Amino acid sequence: MIENQKNSRTGNTVLLDLKIERFRYSGAELDSLQHIEVNVAPGSLTVIVGESGSGKSTLGEVFAGILPRQGADQCLGTINLAGQRIEYTGLECQRINVAGWAKHVGLLPQEAGHYLSRIRERVAEELVFSLENEGVPRDEMCQRITALSTQLGLDHLLERDPAKLSGGQERLVALASLAISEPSIMVLDEPLAGLDAEATAAVTEMITRLRAGGTAMVVLSRTAKPWAGKVDALRTLANGQLSKASSDDLVQHSVFEPTQRRATPIEANVLLEFGDVQLVHPGAERPVLDGLDLQVRAGECVGLAGANGSGKTTVLKAAAGLLRPTAGSLAVSATTGMLLQNSSDQLFERTVLREVSFGLPKKGAQRSRVPEVLSQLGLEAFAETHPYELPASVRRLVALATVLVREPRTLLLDEPTEALDSAGLARLQEVIDSVLIRGGAVLLSTHDKEFMNRTTHWVHLMSENPEPTAPDS
Amino acid sequence: MPKSINLHPFTVLALTAAVVTMTTAAGLWWLSCAVITVCVLVAGWTGHLRRLAVLSAAILIPTFASLLLIHGLVSQQASGLIAVAGPFRVTEGGLEAATVLGLRTAVLVVAGLLCTLLISKHQLVAAIDLSPAPPQVGYLLAATLFLLPHMADKQRTIGQAQALRQAGTGRGLSGWFQRVRLRAVPLVLASLQDAHDRSSHLSARGFPAAGSHTRLRTVADSVTQQRVRWISLLCAVVGPTAILAPFWGSA
Repeated sequence: MIENQKNSRTGNTVLLDLKIERFRYSGAELDSLQHIEVNVAPGSLTVIVGESGSGKSTLGEVFAGILPRQGADQCLGTINLAGQRIEYTGLECQRINVAGWAKHVGLLPQEAGHYLSRIRERVAEELVFSLENEGVPRDEMCQRITALSTQLGLDHLLERDPAKLSGGQERLVALASLAISEPSIMVLDEPLAGLDAEATAAVTEMITRLRAGGTAMVVLSRTAKPWAGKVDALRTLANGQLSKASSDDLVQHSVFEPTQRRATPIEANVLLEFGDVQLVHPGAERPVLDGLDLQVRAGECVGLAGANGSGKTTVLKAAAGLLRPTAGSLAVSATTGMLLQNSSDQLFERTVLREVSFGLPKKGAQRSRVPEVLSQLGLEAFAETHPYELPASVRRLVALATVLVREPRTLLLDEPTEALDSAGLARLQEVIDSVLIRGGAVLLSTHDKEFMNRTTHWVHLMSENPEPTAPDS
Repeated sequence: MPKSINLHPFTVLALTAAVVTMTTAAGLWWLSCAVITVCVLVAGWTGHLRRLAVLSAAILIPTFASLLLIHGLVSQQASGLIAVAGPFRVTEGGLEAATVLGLRTAVLVVAGLLCTLLISKHQLVAAIDLSPAPPQVGYLLAATLFLLPHMADKQRTIGQAQALRQAGTGRGLSGWFQRVRLRAVPLVLASLQDAHDRSSHLSARGFPAAGSHTRLRTVADSVTQQRVRWISLLCAVVGPTAILAPFWGSA
């Protein structure tokens, strides 16, 4: 068993040296990682770029000591960390104390919500959850909360219920919860996904400050663009193999061709209309938003922009009929279909085919569309796969397929680019175009400015609103 | 909006234990009624009256009904006959026995429910974490107390996802059964997956704590409350013995 109870800020030139000859999940037929070599120096920023399914999250869990699972996964390789050497020889490997390991290497998972304990009432308590378990004195915890919340602009969230945060806020809180433990190396899986501009700037600045203090950063991302000019080592991960890359190549690679935007007919029908609408979550005391006026016409793609927690998801849920306005009028004159922000919330069947077919009449026309939709989104090969076994990008497309199979005239997309790789983004773009061409409309929320500018006809900016009070749990 | 009371959770628990054990041991109808009245007043003052009434009724109505069936309608007592029809015999003694037993149960139910409504589960977990109890106790309690709210959130999310696909949107009793059927399996699978996804990160965050641990949350306490707790615990243990001892051997 490896027990590392002390922090490893040793001043060595290399904090961590990871060499993985091969890694294979239990029961898998192919290796997920091969020939991986990474050296992490104190204060460095290593960015590993890869498409969905390339092995980024697996590599992140190997860094964090979560993988390989003893007696299950096969791994050949060594890790040198804080003067200790861990050898993996096939199924035989030393047992790692994950809590001790986390003092050196902390991992922010791609689904940031999984990092939160969900057993604390307030964000402030969630932030210091690890410190509480370490026995850090209360005064010191208070000092660290004050410092970190000021730095990340979290003051307004400290008293909120962690279970009732928006997706972006959740990621920010998870990142802060990881940073407050001050590990020597932070491995961040898509740290900027779903964050608004302000939060992105705060996180970027925090990373710079932590690096200046000697913390090494390993970022796993589908694009290197946000890290251009700051990165010390840039690698690409493809099919589980790591290779060096120049930042110029990757920035070039991430640029998309703008699509041809069609003009919206002036007399086009209004498919969705919010008139002075007020929306309140069940059990909440204050409205999430008030006085919303918005029209979406046939052939139009409209973007919703605004800070994390400004009510974008709430607007989409109201349009989908999941939430009724408490004041004002909401007119929906066409069928709607909604892609939720978190794909896992939308998937609950055993196979992709069953998932997409769920709820459809057995002899209806929509049922016969299932193969066509799977083909449109490139999912034919995954028809008999369990949705949870798929890479995040493919899982997102499966969730989109469950919406498209019903041919909604108004498509509602909540952060659709989150977790999508470039192939997935291209599919999404095609889907949006096809909906607009057949006279439908699209209402979407995203923090991806490039995607927003490329896709939407116009953008509705959500007004600043007071933080809604969470209902009693 | 319910009022929060500034009592240590252990104080509320100890008081409840003392009241329930002593009232049950005494077995006096007027004492049971007095305790229930005090509970109702406390619930009204703290803003929990409606929830206490609904929850208590859900448990006590079937309880009283079954006690009446057992003791009130088929009483074996010979004296105090009120009515008889075939196998049914209603006697004064039978009705009294049903009432006394029902009131004893009512004290346990009403006081117990009030106790759960007054104590914040987060405060209770914090109180255990801050006590000398082993860390595993706080972990077990947290895992138990927060499981149901998590599953409730999860089933709401599954319900929304299914509603988006026009499934499980029926009304009435059949609609309710359809929703239960559609959500049950996904709920269990999603909960297992969620537990699996979170477990490694909880371990990485040192949960459950292996050694000494601290809490950011403070739990108000005082010497007076500590004394009240000790006296209450003493009453809970010694009180029933003292009440019942004179009757031992006389039955």
